[in-house]
Amino acid sequence: MNASRTEKLLFIAPAIAYLLVFSIFPLIYSVGISLTDLNVVRKGTGNFVGLSNYVHLFSSGSLFVRAVTNTFIIMFFALLIEIVLGFIIARLFYLVRSVRFVTILRTMYIIPIMITPLIFGLVWSYVLNPLLGVGNVMLKAAGLHALPWLGSPKTALATIVMIDVWQWTPFLMMLIFSGFMTIPHELFEAAEVDGARLVKKITHIELPFLKQVIGLALILRSMDVFRMFDLIYATTQGGPGGATEVISMFAYRQSFNYYNTSIGSTASIIALIIITIISNFFNKITKETRG
Amino acid sequence: MKKTLFIAVLLAIFVVVQPSFAGTNWKAELKNWSGKTLHIIMIGDPWITAFQQVAPEFEKLTGAKIIIDGYGYDATHEKEVLEGSQKSTTTDIVVLDAPWIGEFAEGGYVEDLKPYINKTNASVIEYNDYLKVFREVSDWKGKVIGMPFAAYFVTTCYRKDLLDAENLKPAKTLDEWKAIAAKFTNNPKYPGMYGLAMNNQQGSCVGQSYFEYIWNVGGKPFKSCYPGSKAPYADMKPLLDSPESIEVVKLFIDMLKYQPDGALNIAWDDRDNYFSAGKLAMVSEWSARLPAFLSPKTSTVSGQIINAVVPAKAGVKPVPPLGGWVMGISKYSGQKDMAWDFIKWFCSSETHKRFVDAGGMPSRYSALKDSALLAKYPTFPAIAQSVDLAFADCRPRIPEGFEIISTIGMYISRAMTGELTPEAAMAQANKDVKAILLKGGYKMSN
Repeated sequence: MNASRTEKLLFIAPAIAYLLVFSIFPLIYSVGISLTDLNVVRKGTGNFVGLSNYVHLFSSGSLFVRAVTNTFIIMFFALLIEIVLGFIIARLFYLVRSVRFVTILRTMYIIPIMITPLIFGLVWSYVLNPLLGVGNVMLKAAGLHALPWLGSPKTALATIVMIDVWQWTPFLMMLIFSGFMTIPHELFEAAEVDGARLVKKITHIELPFLKQVIGLALILRSMDVFRMFDLIYATTQGGPGGATEVISMFAYRQSFNYYNTSIGSTASIIALIIITIISNFFNKITKETRG
Repeated sequence: MKKTLFIAVLLAIFVVVQPSFAGTNWKAELKNWSGKTLHIIMIGDPWITAFQQVAPEFEKLTGAKIIIDGYGYDATHEKEVLEGSQKSTTTDIVVLDAPWIGEFAEGGYVEDLKPYINKTNASVIEYNDYLKVFREVSDWKGKVIGMPFAAYFVTTCYRKDLLDAENLKPAKTLDEWKAIAAKFTNNPKYPGMYGLAMNNQQGSCVGQSYFEYIWNVGGKPFKSCYPGSKAPYADMKPLLDSPESIEVVKLFIDMLKYQPDGALNIAWDDRDNYFSAGKLAMVSEWSARLPAFLSPKTSTVSGQIINAVVPAKAGVKPVPPLGGWVMGISKYSGQKDMAWDFIKWFCSSETHKRFVDAGGMPSRYSALKDSALLAKYPTFPAIAQSVDLAFADCRPRIPEGFEIISTIGMYISRAMTGELTPEAAMAQANKDVKAILLKGGYKMSN
């Protein structure tokens, strides 16, 4: 039985209404605000200013430019390390998949994903407290020098990457592990018979099969990094000296500390444009691989 | 007969005067609010426990239910501004920090409490018993924005045992202060110790530090804003690039060498934790944190602490930083009379003493001079000295105050990391703050 056009429209109407109310309208409204000088707590604001907020954010020496740069640095290094580590750990779990209790170990390994970012931000800031934290106690016990961790512009961004890697490598592992499970076992057996070495197996069997899942992981994680806020808020507030300033922190400060809603919206719109381009790029690569 | 008459007269006098001996008759003073719920938004500072301990007495007196929501500093500000700007009727009482007064008054988010004060029995209010400087804090263009109940002053806390061991006294000048910091840093006699820890974290943290030190090097942040000024906001020409402002930034950079590793990210809680853990010789800290320093439950050095008025540059009269909290009534509350009943009861001298006894901050002279409280809190005399020296506008109480403090803090942080020179950082801060003030319509001389 074929549904009539009206019936089809009725069925999709709730979804369209939801999208209009909760996604499309706020987006258009936000774009509108970004073209004004609105400050929600000041009278006489909300006047149309054209693209001047966009120009202002990209002006020389702007903290926003630094925030965009830092976000890209975190994204590049965190994703690179997470994919490499995630692949290695997933491969290890794949090799020992038939060993008893390994499922429990795998479940335990993904616990960090389940913790609220604000909570682990606070926990890590205690762990990495240069004077009282257990991080430096362990370094000293191992005969290494203590580090300032989040307290120095030289180490703060790397520390943020390290915490992100700690939390999200298990997610990459989980996705890649599921990718491993889709590889036909005969291929490995044939490679064994042909005497293929590890590198050949990885490059000719595993990676071609895992490309799609890695592409998906890249899209999801890059979006995550662009939304990174809780961790920075709980640990450094973007400091020292802007060393860990990221786009979400910048937008938050403008919108909710200074109530410069127009600047906050502008930063969010720019972030949205960047993340759309990146997602499409990764999506294209994945599609090409599928093709 | 004469004797009987004399006794009768005495009894009559006693009956008339008795209520004043027994304190306020709250049952008569407060209405019955059974079935009503009072919503309060406040900072989750250490005294919130004392607040939660005392506030339920109001429930017993009136039958009302009290809900207290405590947040972090920035979150309290954010929540309260949003409640006001969205005209929310959910919140009845907002607890405001001193620098937010102008923002909430100009935004029209809170009631003017003057009419409420005027309609209440003066002996209940005892307005002149509030610390004078805090009466000034609560005032905005002749309106009373909130009733003071938790006044803070920064005093410098020292480890008495360490000072005694080195025959040192609390610093009166910044040079003496530096000398103490140097004495206890990298000293083989005191392994693992540091001179001090300061609020250095980027943003409002180090931005507030600027306003804590600028007066004590003899400077001022805006042209007409200084202790004793009749109109602190009349000429808002920013002086953030002045020699004194740059001196403050250089002082912050210089003091880094006496602080623990990672000092650039030290914020309020960190400096407390370091001092309580016995890692610092001294710390300049808000009085709200002092009860925790004195308690053996929360401090390893509880028996060894003395405090004094903050040091200032030689020849400069010290200006102890002032902050702390007042209670205002939300403009959009539907229960303003109940909110006022709570405020007048909680801020009254007798309830206030109980609040201070439980760990709250003294905001009335009667509490600061109370012998039982003085015996319990040996830190009070230094606070009392600070009261007389403090300046109500030591941090700008204008609507743009929060943004200004945070903006300055962003640039100082960049100077402290070495990314910008102090001169370049403060020149840029001056430019940005000037833009904020121009947007706000403030007058500035050339």
